[in-house]
Amino acid sequence: MNDQTQSVNPPQRALTLHRELTAVWSDLPGWRGVLASVNHGTIGLRFMATACVFFAIGGVLSMLIRAQLATPRGAFLDTAVYNQIFTMHGSIMMFLFAIPMLEGLALWLLPKILGARDMAFPRLSALGYWCYLFGGTIILLSLLGGVAPDGGWFMYTPLSDKTHTPGINADVWLLGITFVEISAVAAAVEITVTILRCRSADMPLTRMPLMGWYMLGTSVMMLVGFPPLILGSILLELERAFDWPFFDVTRGGDPLLWQHLFWLFGHPEVYIIFLPAAGALSTIIPVLSRTTILGYGTIVAAVLGLVFLSFGLWVHHMFTVGIPHMALAFFSAASALVAVPTAVQVFAWIGTIWKGRPELKLPMLYVLGFFLTFVMGGLTGVMLAIVPFNWQAHDTAFVTAHLHYVLIGGFVFPMLAALTYWMPLICGRARVPRVGEAAFWLILIGFHGTFFIMHLTGLLGMPRRIDVYPDNPEWIIPNLVSSIFSMVMAMGFALFAFDIVMQVIFGAHSRRNPWRAPTLDWAMSLPAPAYNFASLPGPGLDHADAAVALARGTGWLPGAPRGWRETLVVNAGSGRPEHVAVLPDNTMLPIATAAVIGSFFMLMLAGLYWLTPLALVAIVLTLWRWGAVMGADTDHAPILVAKGQSLPVHWQVRGTLAYGGAVATLVADSSLYACLLFGVGFLSVVAPAWPAPESGLSGLWSAMLIGVALVALTLGALFARRAEARRGSAIAQTQTRLGVVSGVIALVALVSIALLLDDPTRHARDALRGVLLGFAVVHMGIATLLAARSHADARDGRISAQRRGAVPVWRLWQDFALATTAISGLLVAAQEVL
Amino acid sequence: MRWAMGMLAGPTLWAVLFVVVYALHGIGCAWGWPSVSFGPTSLHIAAMMGAWVAGLVLHLVLLWQMPKGHDREGRLQRAGAWIGLVASGVTLLPIVVTSSCG
Repeated sequence: MNDQTQSVNPPQRALTLHRELTAVWSDLPGWRGVLASVNHGTIGLRFMATACVFFAIGGVLSMLIRAQLATPRGAFLDTAVYNQIFTMHGSIMMFLFAIPMLEGLALWLLPKILGARDMAFPRLSALGYWCYLFGGTIILLSLLGGVAPDGGWFMYTPLSDKTHTPGINADVWLLGITFVEISAVAAAVEITVTILRCRSADMPLTRMPLMGWYMLGTSVMMLVGFPPLILGSILLELERAFDWPFFDVTRGGDPLLWQHLFWLFGHPEVYIIFLPAAGALSTIIPVLSRTTILGYGTIVAAVLGLVFLSFGLWVHHMFTVGIPHMALAFFSAASALVAVPTAVQVFAWIGTIWKGRPELKLPMLYVLGFFLTFVMGGLTGVMLAIVPFNWQAHDTAFVTAHLHYVLIGGFVFPMLAALTYWMPLICGRARVPRVGEAAFWLILIGFHGTFFIMHLTGLLGMPRRIDVYPDNPEWIIPNLVSSIFSMVMAMGFALFAFDIVMQVIFGAHSRRNPWRAPTLDWAMSLPAPAYNFASLPGPGLDHADAAVALARGTGWLPGAPRGWRETLVVNAGSGRPEHVAVLPDNTMLPIATAAVIGSFFMLMLAGLYWLTPLALVAIVLTLWRWGAVMGADTDHAPILVAKGQSLPVHWQVRGTLAYGGAVATLVADSSLYACLLFGVGFLSVVAPAWPAPESGLSGLWSAMLIGVALVALTLGALFARRAEARRGSAIAQTQTRLGVVSGVIALVALVSIALLLDDPTRHARDALRGVLLGFAVVHMGIATLLAARSHADARDGRISAQRRGAVPVWRLWQDFALATTAISGLLVAAQEVL
Repeated sequence: MRWAMGMLAGPTLWAVLFVVVYALHGIGCAWGWPSVSFGPTSLHIAAMMGAWVAGLVLHLVLLWQMPKGHDREGRLQRAGAWIGLVASGVTLLPIVVTSSCG
């Protein structure tokens, strides 16, 4: 293909463009650069490096577990410490390694492989990282302080309630993990919008690299799947801190509600972890097999099937809790069915290898390790999906073996393949030969030696999470074998880390595109520059061979002539370029915001609840600052992106990235609200101590107040529409002012209802009403803040005939607050009437 | 993006149907529907069966409505419709093979 014939801009001097872009896109020098970077390359690598550190810590904890279990009367750890160690091992590996690792890979890779200069929301990337680091550090420090969570990584009630866990151990988990979850939801919003809107010019969704589809599936699952855990954590923390009885059977609660909420997150979580790994496999296998992927469309359909079906399996973690047979059978059938789309992908990868000429390079070794391990884990998964077998194997070491085959096979092996594959792009250096191969064999042999025999240990009846087994001599040999091989695996991981360090320090400079891959991530110099592409890819320039042409500025939007961080925003479906987004520069705002959010969590953890409003005010002030530095108070002429084609800048269009981000956030929010409604329905129908006692909320006052709130909310929605429709005139400012006033009235009405609520510690119904009201107040508060932001925009000239300021996002939130408040009001009214 | 909506329609219908039937199952068990007769079966089975069959009919209508073209968008839409139909058929089959609240 002749790149020149596809050029949309005249060639320039590559070095000049490189200097111009580097000046705009680079991190600040020194410590300010560390704290203020928002670049996806830096943040993505930080995520991955920090996740690897947590992986090492989680790995050391697992070594302690294996040392304890190597003999039947292990005196290495006492029971209390052992409980903390296994809880922290699971929690760290799930929440502080796997999810951040996939987030890091997505942040670092997606703009490169899709042909963009950065993620859609660079400051959100940085905020996510700091929340992850601070939350993870809190959890880790608790281990050093001897107050780490000790109730198992799924923190079941009633073990985790205040009676059975009176210290702060469970609070550390609930607050720390929720803090980290903010990072995950932020990443999910960002990944979703980036994939849909920040691809190269004219790259339709149906032609984007498979990695994009896998990450899109992952991010949507995170948007829907994480809120149940966030809600569960909020409810359990409310019960622990204020005695609101969501899980207390004597007062209308039910511990099974926690299990439902946890596994509504927990099972999709397995696929959330697997899909990015599968994306890496779908990228690496065809390249190292010197062919193209077999069955692109079939794989996309399989991803679609996995994304949906994985939300219909959660009860298979609860097969032994006494649920009726028919419900068990629904989830058993779904659990068996989900193996089909997984198998479709495995066969597509095998077929790709079969039709190509596979090269047994190091990443391919890890791919083969994946096949061996994951397929076995998948088969034991089908066994566990069958209810009678599940009853026999439940809570035994068989399940421990199965989950490690799935998670290490389905995530760790592919991630090791991905790291070895993309390391030249990360550090610009080639691998030091042979060390990596030795590490691979140690990991593979060590893993199977540890966990294969653990199936047998489980079938011999050994339960999970016990620290001694003096009366079961039949478990001694298999445990000893597992412990010995676990040390072999640990040596393998240590050698892998050593190999990576060797590559970074001593590796020879890598040539460009060392794997001869076709994808855009290799259409750049090594190591990848901060701006990725000197000019952006498009038709004819959408492959790795276009590297030189793109570096010479013959693609879209060459250089940084305005001194701005610019990237193309395209139509979600067709990829047609729509506008130019000007992305934010380096800033300390993300770390400051993470710090104030962290202060809220720390105050909660310390039990200083009366001080938390101060932290909330600080959060609001910091977030206000985010909005204050967005937008513009003057119109800008369209930007020439290609010969004869100009596009508007983002503040002069409606369908901005920010608007897409708000929609994605509301998807997550809707999931949380739906789970709250599920909680109300579940307890009403299933919990034993119902019906609830007489309610004091049935009077005229409460009906009047909810009426006032709904009218004010409706008027606010009307004002938001009129503010946008009349944005070119002075009326807009009046509408935004009225929007603030109506928001305050709605807030006052809603807060007044709180005075009429029954004591939320009395019964779960009253506690749930408190949460429904809290949900309404928080969302009304956000809508009012957005109205105030819109008013400030109107006052400061950020709104004009072409510029909308924050009004579209305000309108969206106002509608959402109105809809959810109305539903909550109807629900409470129905409870009163029925 | 209409094709994407079409692709999501089948699995979304399965999700809705799964939630509705699971909710009917829980409500029916709590309110004693298995002991209420409804023709040849119980009110509980009849309610779930009614929702299931109605859902399957909707799935078939959806499949019928899908574009017949051989482009990737068309194939993905048909795949989505089939995924929804098979998922609804398989995961809710227990309505006719197991006891409801035992």
